[in-house]
Amino acid sequence: MEEKYLICEDSLEGIFTGIYEAYALRNGHEHVHLQVGEEENLRLFASYMYISPDSVKTDKVVKTLRMRLGEHVYHSLCRAAASCYSDKGEAVYKTVVDALTGGSGRRVMENLGNPHVARCFELARYTANEAHYEIEFIRFQELTSQEPSQGSVLFSRIGPRNNVVPFVMPHFADRLSIENFMVYDEKRKLFGVHPAREEWYLVSAQDAFVLPELVRSEKEERFQDLFRTFHRTIGIKSRENKNLQRQMCAYRYQDYMVEFEKNEKI
Amino acid sequence: MELRIAPQMTVMEKLEILGAAAKYDVSCSSSGSSRKNDGQGIGNTVKAGLCHSFAADGRCISLLKILFTNECIYDCRYCINRRSNDVPRVSFTPDEVCELTMEFYRRNYIEGLFLSSGILYSPDYTMELICETVHKLRTLYRFQGYIHIKAIPGADPFLIQRAGYLADRMSVNLEMATAEGLRAIAPNKHRKNILKPMRQIQNGITENKNELTLYKHAPHFCEAGQSTQMVIGALPESDYQIMSVAESLYEKFSLKRVYYSAFVNVNEDKDLPALVGGPPLLREHRLYQADWLLRFYDFKVDELLTTERPNFNTAIDPKADWAVRHLECFPVEINRADYRMLLRVPGVGVKSAGRIVAARRFGNLTFDDLKKIGVVLKRALYFITCNGRMMYPTKLDEAYIVRNLTYQNQMGRGEKLPFMTDGTSYRQMSLFDEPFLGHGNVLQQTVGQGHTVLTEAG
Repeated sequence: MEEKYLICEDSLEGIFTGIYEAYALRNGHEHVHLQVGEEENLRLFASYMYISPDSVKTDKVVKTLRMRLGEHVYHSLCRAAASCYSDKGEAVYKTVVDALTGGSGRRVMENLGNPHVARCFELARYTANEAHYEIEFIRFQELTSQEPSQGSVLFSRIGPRNNVVPFVMPHFADRLSIENFMVYDEKRKLFGVHPAREEWYLVSAQDAFVLPELVRSEKEERFQDLFRTFHRTIGIKSRENKNLQRQMCAYRYQDYMVEFEKNEKI
Repeated sequence: MELRIAPQMTVMEKLEILGAAAKYDVSCSSSGSSRKNDGQGIGNTVKAGLCHSFAADGRCISLLKILFTNECIYDCRYCINRRSNDVPRVSFTPDEVCELTMEFYRRNYIEGLFLSSGILYSPDYTMELICETVHKLRTLYRFQGYIHIKAIPGADPFLIQRAGYLADRMSVNLEMATAEGLRAIAPNKHRKNILKPMRQIQNGITENKNELTLYKHAPHFCEAGQSTQMVIGALPESDYQIMSVAESLYEKFSLKRVYYSAFVNVNEDKDLPALVGGPPLLREHRLYQADWLLRFYDFKVDELLTTERPNFNTAIDPKADWAVRHLECFPVEINRADYRMLLRVPGVGVKSAGRIVAARRFGNLTFDDLKKIGVVLKRALYFITCNGRMMYPTKLDEAYIVRNLTYQNQMGRGEKLPFMTDGTSYRQMSLFDEPFLGHGNVLQQTVGQGHTVLTEAG
């Protein structure tokens, strides 16, 4: 039978619309594939179908997934869909198929014998791990806002591999509920914005967006220096182990952290 | 205090001195308590804990770990701040501590505060200072993040109780595994005084739990439990002694964690060992591995060590060591064995054991699946079967398995140690361990020799 490829946009909405369309084909799932973004090498004997994201269809899929598979599975699927790997579309789609038609239902994420579920699990774990690291390693700096009455703004720049900002924001929104803060993902040009005592939201900047010069507050430099001092003195000389340090906190995070030497990206 | 002839120091200088003075305290965890922000101040706590940075020695920095003061009336031999040392003495003011904590916390540098202190004037006076500071941080600055307070042995029980209601975790350091050791090394400290507040905190936590089941909004007392720390390698205690103490601390004092700290001779005290090869990191590592086996893998100390074998094997980890000495329990069939037995297989951890149990409900697992689940097959393959088959034919023989496990070590593919080992015991073996394939007899013989080297080393 002819293989059918559904090509969808690289977003949660894109993938979920793709899943909707795949089910709408009513053609079984064995020969239907979901692909995120363009294919470089077109296959012989395969037909391609372009899917544009649709919020109504997405809502339907989200509702079904939450109701029939539960929040836990739904969140795992969302995390897998935020991954940086391009095979995520297929993994998420086939996992949903395994859950809804394969009979594993709410326990689908435990069915690691299924290669698609295993892949989906792996992708979700990778995103979750990176989100966890960012929660730990994000460094805010205090900026002065143009309106003095609004107080200060905490700003952080990150460059994660997966799209983790949506998973990082709830943590800080609870922890720093009385602060204005912003997390900026410079790879996706995506802002997570939290005004003090309000709900947080995402803002996507255009491709041509360049971050303007940051105006740090007066005491910012002082506390950065204090933390650098603390970070330097807390290490025990006779146990020095840079390898372990790098293993626990990779260079790609250190780039954005004030206490490390190679912090040119903050 | 006014008479002291010392120049006024800046916060930066104080932080440098009092941060450095606190660095030998190992505990830096921020786990165990879970609290949402109430919208009135800054902060919350996360059950799993968060590490915010890593120091040059690779240890995590999760809390702002400082001493309130490094003045001390005690003269403990191993301590840099002992009375007889001539080091600059400084104290923070409560406001300085609060400001540092708040500003670091807002910038996500830290997860909270770990406040310890030298003994200024008396235990009571010091404990009261610590309480004052933390009380200010909680009420005036409305800090809702993690706070770890050191209970000062000998302080008034009322003060310790007060601290417990302000802190997420409290700790009293046991310092040495044996009471005699403590007497020799810290003449002003007594085992009895250390265990008393430990017991008080334990009782406080139990009472508080009962209270919380009745009254949901009752204040929490040390929500994240208590921990302690022992210095390793300053005195000739065996691993068996140390682990037995740890086990009884877990069982009788319901501690959350026991920390082991490789001894660093900061004072170059003539009565303490002068560690030539640096602090005993491998020993510390083995103790932590065994500690995990006690807490998460359902092992007992008596299974791991005995009076005849009082120290851990340096060449293989305690779990593999147990497995090769109990080959009668293996091989384990992955698709059938119960959870407790799966946990005992080297290369299978708590997470993968849980995943195996969940995944095999859907069908038989193969070695490929195990790999995806996260089992370390290069270690596990000697001990498991999948659907009645081993991964490839191996001998269920102690010497053979030990040789293979340690051979991988030399190739850099085996056990990952978090530091460079001097590896003397490994190198002794390397002469024999070139792969002489096809010389079965020679191999068998050298393996035998290699193994005796190992057990002696252990």
